[in-house]
Amino acid sequence: MNRLKNLPTLQIDPEKKISLRYKGKSYEGVQGDTIATLLYANGIRVFARSLKYHRPRGLYSLDGECSNTLMEVDGIPNVRCENTPAREGMNVKAQNVLGSADRDFMAFMDKMSRAMPAGFYYKIFHKPASVWPLVIKRIRKAAGLGKMSPDFDMPGAYDEIYPRADVCVVGGGPAGMCAALAAAEQGLRVILLEARPRLGGSYDYRCTQYHSVSGDRNMPLCQRARELAEQVEAHPCIRVFAHTFLTGVYGGHVLTAFQQGGEADHFTQRYVEIRTESMVAATGCTERPLLFENNEKPGVMQPGCAHRLARTWGLLPGKTAVFSIGHDAGIEAAIDLSDLGMEIPCVADVREDGQDPLLLAELEKRQIPFYRGWAALCAEGGKNLKKVCLSTLNGKHQKNFACDILAAAAGLSPLTGPLTLAGAGLKYDSHSGFFLPEDMPENIHAAGHLLGYEYPPAIESSGTLAGLWAAADCGVSVQNAVREISEEMAALPGPLRGSKFVCGPVSGKKTFICFDEDCTLKNTDQAMAEGFDVPELIKRFTSAGTGPGQGGIPGHNLPLYVALSQASPDSSPRPTTTRSPLTPPYLATYAGSSHDMSKRTPVHDFQAASGGRMERVGVWNRARRFSQNQSPKNKSDDATARREIENVRNNVGMLDASTLGKFRIFGQDALKALQRVYVSDMSRVSEGRMKYSAMCNEDGCVIDDGVVTKCGENDYYLTTSTGRAGMTAEWFRFHSRYEKWDYHIVNLTDAYGVINLAGPSARRVLEKITDADVSHGAFPFSAYREFSVQNVIPVRAMRLGFVGELSYEFHVPSSFMPSLWQILEEAGKEFGIQNFGLEAQSTMRMEKGHVILGSESEQRTTLHDIGLGFLWHRGKPEAKTVGASALAHTEKQKGRLKLVGFKTENPADGVPKDGAPIADDRIRGYVCTCRYSYSLKVTIGMALVEDELAAENTRLGIYTNDGFAGEAMPDSGEYMKYARVVPMPFYDPEGKRMKM
Amino acid sequence: MFGRKKRLWGEKPPFRSDYDAVIIGGGLHGLATAYFLATRHGMNSIAVIEKRYIGYGGAGRNTAIVRANQRTQENLPLYKEALELWPVLTKELDFNLMFYNCGNLNLAHSEAAMKAMRLQVSSARFQGIDIRLVDRKECKELIPALDISDRPRYPVYGGMFHPAGGIVRHDAVVWGLAKGAAKHGVHIHQGTEVRAICTEKGKIVSVDTDKGKINTPRVLNAAGAYSAAISGHMLGIKLPISVLTIQAMVTQPLKPLLDHVVSSGMYHCYANQTLKGEIATGAHMDPWPNYTNQNSAYYIKHQAEALGDFLPCLRGVKFMRCWAGLADMTPDMAPIMDGNDPVEGYYTDCGWGYFGFKSSTVTGKYMAEFMAKGECPEILKPFTLRRFENHRLMGETAALVNYSPDN
Repeated sequence: MNRLKNLPTLQIDPEKKISLRYKGKSYEGVQGDTIATLLYANGIRVFARSLKYHRPRGLYSLDGECSNTLMEVDGIPNVRCENTPAREGMNVKAQNVLGSADRDFMAFMDKMSRAMPAGFYYKIFHKPASVWPLVIKRIRKAAGLGKMSPDFDMPGAYDEIYPRADVCVVGGGPAGMCAALAAAEQGLRVILLEARPRLGGSYDYRCTQYHSVSGDRNMPLCQRARELAEQVEAHPCIRVFAHTFLTGVYGGHVLTAFQQGGEADHFTQRYVEIRTESMVAATGCTERPLLFENNEKPGVMQPGCAHRLARTWGLLPGKTAVFSIGHDAGIEAAIDLSDLGMEIPCVADVREDGQDPLLLAELEKRQIPFYRGWAALCAEGGKNLKKVCLSTLNGKHQKNFACDILAAAAGLSPLTGPLTLAGAGLKYDSHSGFFLPEDMPENIHAAGHLLGYEYPPAIESSGTLAGLWAAADCGVSVQNAVREISEEMAALPGPLRGSKFVCGPVSGKKTFICFDEDCTLKNTDQAMAEGFDVPELIKRFTSAGTGPGQGGIPGHNLPLYVALSQASPDSSPRPTTTRSPLTPPYLATYAGSSHDMSKRTPVHDFQAASGGRMERVGVWNRARRFSQNQSPKNKSDDATARREIENVRNNVGMLDASTLGKFRIFGQDALKALQRVYVSDMSRVSEGRMKYSAMCNEDGCVIDDGVVTKCGENDYYLTTSTGRAGMTAEWFRFHSRYEKWDYHIVNLTDAYGVINLAGPSARRVLEKITDADVSHGAFPFSAYREFSVQNVIPVRAMRLGFVGELSYEFHVPSSFMPSLWQILEEAGKEFGIQNFGLEAQSTMRMEKGHVILGSESEQRTTLHDIGLGFLWHRGKPEAKTVGASALAHTEKQKGRLKLVGFKTENPADGVPKDGAPIADDRIRGYVCTCRYSYSLKVTIGMALVEDELAAENTRLGIYTNDGFAGEAMPDSGEYMKYARVVPMPFYDPEGKRMKM
Repeated sequence: MFGRKKRLWGEKPPFRSDYDAVIIGGGLHGLATAYFLATRHGMNSIAVIEKRYIGYGGAGRNTAIVRANQRTQENLPLYKEALELWPVLTKELDFNLMFYNCGNLNLAHSEAAMKAMRLQVSSARFQGIDIRLVDRKECKELIPALDISDRPRYPVYGGMFHPAGGIVRHDAVVWGLAKGAAKHGVHIHQGTEVRAICTEKGKIVSVDTDKGKINTPRVLNAAGAYSAAISGHMLGIKLPISVLTIQAMVTQPLKPLLDHVVSSGMYHCYANQTLKGEIATGAHMDPWPNYTNQNSAYYIKHQAEALGDFLPCLRGVKFMRCWAGLADMTPDMAPIMDGNDPVEGYYTDCGWGYFGFKSSTVTGKYMAEFMAKGECPEILKPFTLRRFENHRLMGETAALVNYSPDN
């Protein structure tokens, strides 16, 4: 197709050719084309088939109001071709068709519409019940639009940015640009978002003359658009995001959007999250669809779509265009297209009066017949439009016109999405026929066309005014300027009276209120007849407005139509809810650069190099176990970590325990705070000593355990479990919030690293690296010492015995961790030092009967339940200790789950898995941790069981059927394995080894 | 079906001043209880009072997943029966609830997660529920779009597959129950707000609404997120409930891609493909209590990151609609179902958090029995409100919940 040339409004470069593939053929277009305009230029008129009825669908709008041009592009389904830039070599396919978009073998579905009234699926297919599963398969196949391959890999680079602004203006048309300039002139940081590739809005494709208020600036609107755009782009305080689609407006004045990258950009698309003091919505209007029979047939399009096709892309949409409109912009489009070479047989306007007389004069000049109070009643033709039947609004008089294009709109529809998402309530305004905000939230403003202004200087002034109000939100004094502009506006035409017309006397069978869901007026009537009386429920029942275009097509008409149908005095139209995202973005775009935020300890790399199998544990990466061979093909990978365990039991091992929560709490009331949250009496800890204790919540349930060390007067160092570290400071503060205590708590979790050195040779390793006296007498079990390693590294050392051997915990500043790690490795070489990981630690501490919270406890487990009740100091006043009254209340309570140790009866049964239920005729508890003990040569474990089963020597039945195909499970129903309750600790009950 | 349309739940009922029972809340729990009271216990003077329109709250905002893989034996039988009820009710209501029995796959991303699942799986199997552990390869066979390589942030280890679960069309359940209830004489009063619940000598006597006073000996509080406020303000009974916003979203419709519900605790994310072809996804709650249905920016982004990581092909799909609802969370993530304590005739069915949809019908059945007979059915006894003052939490969640500072 030949392009119109030399139009000042063109946004294509006819010299630069690009081509894409569609239906096995190559189609050529030019730089600046969208996929749809490129195909349109090549004569393609049918782009897609509709969801239910497989009706042919063509280009209707250019801003994504409906799914008429959704196609598959390079394997990506549901690409909105009308506003997706065409790129060289793209491969485009029609979707939801059997055959092609032109010849779809599913087209017979259109004849079946009678069999598919609104909500029909709720009433059939379940009789008989056996039919339903078969129907599901058919429904799934028939539903959905695009096809996504399960192994599709989304190409492209996705970025994200988080700019901050004083004022964010949404919409880069005249009002938006004026708002941005007004705010920027006050020295504020302004961000301006425009969805189309360049600024200009409704001016950008129009050549109607613009006259400024002062009368000194006269030029075509498109030139005025460039003039404003140049000012905006040159302004140092304005940052323009063009080709950027607003997706959401959230509390705290957060706006989200995404930007389409150009060829020169480093990103394909990027996520933009803006924090702003104030927002101006200047999003303008779209054209409200006119409802008539076959109102979505290819060839029927928005007048603005026809106009922009010609002006922006140089494409005349067809030869002959009938206009059926309800707004002045429609008349203007008819005049302009006539001048550009289209035949315009007539313009029908639903309005009886109110048109701009200048426009009517122009029509007359061109001898284009004008019909007042007429509208399209029916579009006819096969796949493409052949003729249109126009009629008076009551249908009494009718006339047919042959044409290949019908530019139709009932009027305008304001794009209030950003305002409703910001929390503005919409109310029907009977002057404009718009749903307009009645209670604007703070720091949110609206301007321009969307408020009903159509006269260009009024649009611009309303933008300037909104920009000034936004500036005022930022603390700028703008009273004088506001007064000036307000006076100016008072002299200008205000919002125009809008058309409220929805449809003439149509049968409604093929009159589509929602294109995407193939929902007709008749379906809407059916829903109302069944008692769905509010638009929101009709939407759910008919699914109108739930397709890819969301409310774009039905959002305005549905409430109007429902109110008209109900015709009761209190049935003022009520809009359906607008939801984010306003424009659908790819998940890839939302994900952006998709940061993976996890923490590594200072000795992460050493462990990984030593064969550590690193895993995510909460926010951390930790070594589960150390295996020589990690190849999945090599089965020597031992999940039980036997070698690591034996080495700790016989020689010495080292574990990176840096993930422990570590805190310093100090100040004159530090002890009071400790007393509040710990169950023990912390006043008994003397300087240089430490105490193991626990924290409970108000239910007496144990939430944390750790060691508190008194380093000095009013100065304590405490450890928490890894998972609890993030919440510890908050817990202290929350439980002392009504006290005026003077204490400080500092989270040292990341500032310090911890190495656990354990095994009978541990002291000999330690002796090699420090001059301090670390003999048993000088540094006994349960003691705390501070010394330096190699006279440099300051170490806080604790002698503890979590794994049941002679063992030290070294707490050192993180920066010293790699050095200490290497020093220990070197010093321990002669004693056979090796790493051990979480698995080995877990088995060894279980052999000692030590619990890990979360493993041997659950949310409802109290301190008593896991046998740690002795930690609770009863002498402390109950009300002053978190959980103490619950501990008193639950101590003797019957029916609780208690922690017990058990030993399996028959070693040949294998090792019951963690999590297996303890059951007889019902479930009585479950296995927390169970392992084969290499140290003791028996299978032992810990379980939470009902108190009746907690007595020593009770036989426990362990139900071992988890249906896991990957494990050998007897099929015979022999699922019960047995064990006996035995006392804990299992290993070294006297604790000699850790105290040696 | 093709004939003249009748209103699904009849003409607008007259507002009477006496009912045998008043149910506050026209959501699923309220409607189901009304339905079972009318059909199973012959009570047909029942009013359902709904402030907005039926199905406005959680009933219309959930993601319609049904399953019976709870953790404790108190909960399992309830959810098991709920699953069995969908086909029964579809037939009984003569309304297609569109139970799509596609099965649910929960992913485990660590050995520890597999262990946690083992408790759920074997507890459920012990009670005769169809569920099993699966390895990573079988996960891929079930969901071909799943990335089981080591590339994702949390590689897949395995999972549990629960063939008995699936999805149900949530709106259909609302409308079907309303239709069934209305047919048996239940009066559904939409746009009606409860102002007060009146007692005399420890017994319920009436309910005040903006349309007038109703004398009744029985009231059920099934007001979902608003139940704690109603209970606290109108009767002085404080419920340990925190209300949090929970968000969900759908993508644009696709041809069949996910044949099962797939979820991951580690990613805080689940996804299922509706019969319409949209991928519905959601999961975690906003971490602060509030009563708004507002979305937040970070959440949809999180969801895109999570889904794009373990179901990478979805990176090429667009999110189309995002919405929010309210979850009434108890400290142990199990509901409160109670009655006649401390006020005779006052019944409570709330605190369902995000389990309210799948449990709605079976709960209605037993709450109806409770209200009709005045005796708590055995299956509901563990869910008493008093468990909190006795520090006897249910254990439905293993980990400590942390959604508000006061629990």
